[in-house]
Order: sequence, then structure tokens, then C-alpha cells
Amino acid sequence: MSTATIEQRAAIAAPLPDVLPAIKPRRGFIGYLRKNPTIAIGGFLLLLMLFVAVAAPLLWTVDPTALAPARRTREPSAMYWFGSDMLGRDVYSRVLYGARVSMLVGFSVAVLASIIGLTIGLTSGFVRWADALVMRVMDGMMSIPPILLAIALMALTRGSVQNVIIAITIAEIPRVSRLVRGVVLSLREQPYVDAAVACGTRTPVIIWRHILPNTLAPITVQATYICASAMITEAILSFIGAGTPPIIPSWGNIMAEGRALWQVKPYIVFFPAIFLSVTVLAVNLLGDGLRDALDPRMAKRL
Amino acid sequence: MFAYIIRRVIATIPVMAVVALFVFSLLYIAPGDPAAVIAGDQATPQDVERIRQSLGLDRPFLVRFGEWVWNILNGDMGVSIFTNLPVTTMIKQRVEPTLSLMVLTLILAVSIAVPMGVVAAWKHGTWVDRCVMGFAVLGFSVPVFVVGYVLAYVFALELDWLPVQGYTAFKEGFFPWLRNLVLPAIALGGVYIALIARITRATMLEVLQQDYIRTAKAKGVDQRSILFLHALKNAAVPIVTVIGIGMALLIGGAVVTESVFAIPGLGRLTVDAILRRDYPVIQGVVLLFSFIYVLVNLLIDLLYTLFDPRIRY
Repeated sequence: MSTATIEQRAAIAAPLPDVLPAIKPRRGFIGYLRKNPTIAIGGFLLLLMLFVAVAAPLLWTVDPTALAPARRTREPSAMYWFGSDMLGRDVYSRVLYGARVSMLVGFSVAVLASIIGLTIGLTSGFVRWADALVMRVMDGMMSIPPILLAIALMALTRGSVQNVIIAITIAEIPRVSRLVRGVVLSLREQPYVDAAVACGTRTPVIIWRHILPNTLAPITVQATYICASAMITEAILSFIGAGTPPIIPSWGNIMAEGRALWQVKPYIVFFPAIFLSVTVLAVNLLGDGLRDALDPRMAKRL
Repeated sequence: MFAYIIRRVIATIPVMAVVALFVFSLLYIAPGDPAAVIAGDQATPQDVERIRQSLGLDRPFLVRFGEWVWNILNGDMGVSIFTNLPVTTMIKQRVEPTLSLMVLTLILAVSIAVPMGVVAAWKHGTWVDRCVMGFAVLGFSVPVFVVGYVLAYVFALELDWLPVQGYTAFKEGFFPWLRNLVLPAIALGGVYIALIARITRATMLEVLQQDYIRTAKAKGVDQRSILFLHALKNAAVPIVTVIGIGMALLIGGAVVTESVFAIPGLGRLTVDAILRRDYPVIQGVVLLFSFIYVLVNLLIDLLYTLFDPRIRY
């Protein structure tokens, strides 16, 4: 046995902190962002786009639907920053106002699909007889490629922003439901749920207090991905003529209108394309960052 | 094994039934009265009623659904409202370009994405890995038609290497066919490559930590054999699964890609049908694509034993 006392050992160990000063981790919001650069970059770009969407009327735009046939298909210039389209409308104003449609559709679909998916997933995770039925229906819906499903639904209705949101939401629900159900099924086996059951906690309370909070992290991550994919789907629907009505300037519509002229006037297509890509990229980066931050187990896998 | 195949095939029946029910409801609740459309502008209400009865549109939902399924099983998908051609004929005319595009994209994507994912996992944490992951995020974010227009602008308009749009049938030669399809295939493949590369990387990372990989390294197996023989083989199941699931992206993307590159395939047919509200055609295409999707994933399920002999049924 060693003869050194605890104090002697401490005396030997003591100088170490002086040699190697402890790195003080930055705390608070800024520190969090520095630790997760993808959240910072994605969040910044998304806020920028959100600002553009909200403040579109203040950002030196003109009426995005105002026609000026005499000044059609102008190249980008000091007067027309992004040029003008074949009806003489200002592409810059149209692209900025287009951000509104994209944001509205993306966020609405993300929120709606999450809420409905959460409800369906919780139900089928807890009600045995409903599970088999609901999951067969979800399997069937999932075997229709989501864009086709949205296209088919849009074929039934008139083109409007509201209908686009509903169609894309329906197409996204099966995936969220599956995710929530999977989480619920694994949570049900957790010892603390058993403990709650043993204590005589009623099922609604267990769902509310023990299951729901644990589904929020994966749902949040999923919601950002849904938001990104909804923005792309909206643009695709509008691009092929099954989305928002042509009167509304959405990025898909602007590209659809620029399509006929794109070989001679490519900028009409490219400006909305850049805005759409950057916005979706921002949301995806935010999603990746949130996934890494909220669910380290998933981060390792993907 | 045989019993498993039977069970697995039977399990797809309820799925297809839900798809069929959904697609049929589409026509059933579609706005506009087909009888009125067929009867034309000059028709009296009596004419419309007569046509409705002759088409059997006045019968109950389930009777019509049963009959519709029976017709489809016999290869009859109804008649297009717009061209008056049978939907099956219209689909047959358009199937080649879409099939060509999807097969080429599949081959291209898998042969690019899998090595990318493997290298990223091998060089985990280096700039190579970061480039691959960055590309993957871009692939998920840039929509297929944006990639399509950029590619067409650079390689067709500016450099004039490849045709801007159009399609040449396979029977007119392999190279003309390929020249027309290269750009659409790359555009369509973007998301797919991103998806497969990411899953390949993730699975490989897990496999590379296994003991048998360390053993292989210790006994001096060269790096390439370790990666592609030892590791990739054990990572195959998730990769192949995601290739199957990703088919949904391919199908959805084909609709758009064909519009961008003016390829006369099923995607164009879908878009035209939507613009004309030609419900029987929309029904036919959605049903066909879903059927292909289910079939591909069923095949992949059955192929698992090939990649992993430990899986027994």
C-alpha cells in the first residue's frame, strides 16, 4: 500500500490546473449556435427569407401583378433588377412576393402534418384494434409516391394556396404517423411507463405526461424536413400547372411562365430557382442541425 | 423460404387494395359529370341521364368499385375523356421513355452514390467526407427542375455538347438514346444520389467499427478489399432498402424532369392529363406507378437473403 496521504496526493495533483487552464465553454444562445453551426447558418438564411417574405412591400418592390406589355422581357437592369417577364411584370417583385407563398405552404404543411400525424400515431400506438387498420391505410397511402398523390388530389380541386396545403399535408401524413407510432411503441416498453402504470396513472395522463414530451424531439426534426419537401412539392405542383393559380406569384408559377422563353431569357427561371433552392437548403440545414442537437443517436446513424 | 414469398406477396394485397380504393374514389368524387362531358354542350338533361345509365354511373359505389377492379385485372383501365383512346393504349405508347429514363437514372445514381458513401465513411471526418455530406444536403435542397435547367443551360445551350431536350427511341441506336437521356438522368438522379450516399455512409460507418473489420485490417487485407468486400457486403441490406424506398422520389421526379426536357413519357402524360382533367388517365398512371413501386419494394424484400444469408424465413 502506498504511504502517501490524500493530502499529499492532492498537493501533487494541484499544479495541473495552472499548467492547463480549463477551457471555459461559451454558454447561452451564442455558445449554442457556435457549437451547432448548421443551426446558425440554416436559421440565419431562413430568417432572412422570412424577412424578405414579410417585408416584401417595403423592399423597393412594385405591384407583382402589374402588366407593362411595352416593357416585356427586359434583361436585368437598374430599373428591373431581375428583369421583366413576357407580360412586362417585374421579376424581382414577383420573386420577393413568391417567398410568401413558399413560406406559407412550407410552414402550414409542417404544422398541420405534424399535428395530424401525431394524433394518428399516438392513437395507433395505444389503441390495439385501430393500429392494424390505420397502418394498412397508411401503407397504402405510402405506396403512392407523394408527389403523385398530391398531383392526384390537386386534380380534384381548383388551384388555390389552401388546396395546395391540404393536398401536400395529406401526402405527408403517413410518414409522420409511422414515425410517431414507432416512437410510441418503443416508449411504451420503458420502465418509467411501467412504473406509471403500476402507480395507477390513467392512460390519457400517461400519454400527455410521459409519451408526448418524448415524441416532440423527433417530430420537430421531421417537421423541418416536411417543411422543406412541402416547399419543393408546391413549386413542382405550380410548375406543372397543378398548384397555385397563375395569378398568384409563386416561385413555381414564375418558373412555369418563364419556361417557354427560358432558352433566350434564362433569368426568368433562374432567379426564382435560386431563391427556392436557398430557402430549402436553409430549412434542411436547420433540420440537420436540430437532429444532431436533439437526437444524438440519430446523428450517428445518418 | 417459399412460404415466406407467398406470405409476403399476400401481404401486398391489402396495400394494393387501399391504393385501388383511393384511386377509384378519385374518379368517384371528381368534380364534373363524365356523362355531361360525353354528352356535349347541346345535350338535354334526358340525354345526360341516358348516357349516365348506359355508363352505369347511377349504380352504388361498391358495385362500381368491384367492376372497376375486375376490369383492371382484365387489362381495361377505361377510356380517356380527351382522346377517346383506351388508357392502356396511351400508357403503352408512353412507357418506353419513362422506363429508359428511370433505369438509366437508377444505374447512374447507384454507381455514383455507393462509392461516394463508402469513401465518405472511410475518410470519416476529413474534407472528403464533408464534401460528400455537403453535396448530399445540396442534393436534397435543389429541386429537380432547377438542376435540370442549370444542366441544360450549361451543357446544351452554352457548351452545345448535348441536345437541349427531346427523346430518341432506343431502337434508333444506343448513343443517340443516351445523348438525350444523360442530362435528364443526372437531374433526376440528384436527390436519389444524395439519399443513397447518405445511407451508405451511415451504414458503412457502423459496419467499419465491427470486430471483423479490425481483424481483417490486422491480418493485412488491403483497404479496397476491406471496404468493398468485407464492409459493403455487410452494409448492403439498408442500402438496398433505401434504393427501393427512394423509387418514390424517382417516380415523382420523372413527372417534372420529363416536362423540363420535353420527353414524351408517362410524366408528360400525367401533366397533360391534369391540365385537361382527364381523370381516367390520371387514375391509370397513378395506379401503374404505385403498382411498380410496391412491386419493386416487394422484390427487394425478397432479395434480402441474397445479401445477408443470415436472414432466413
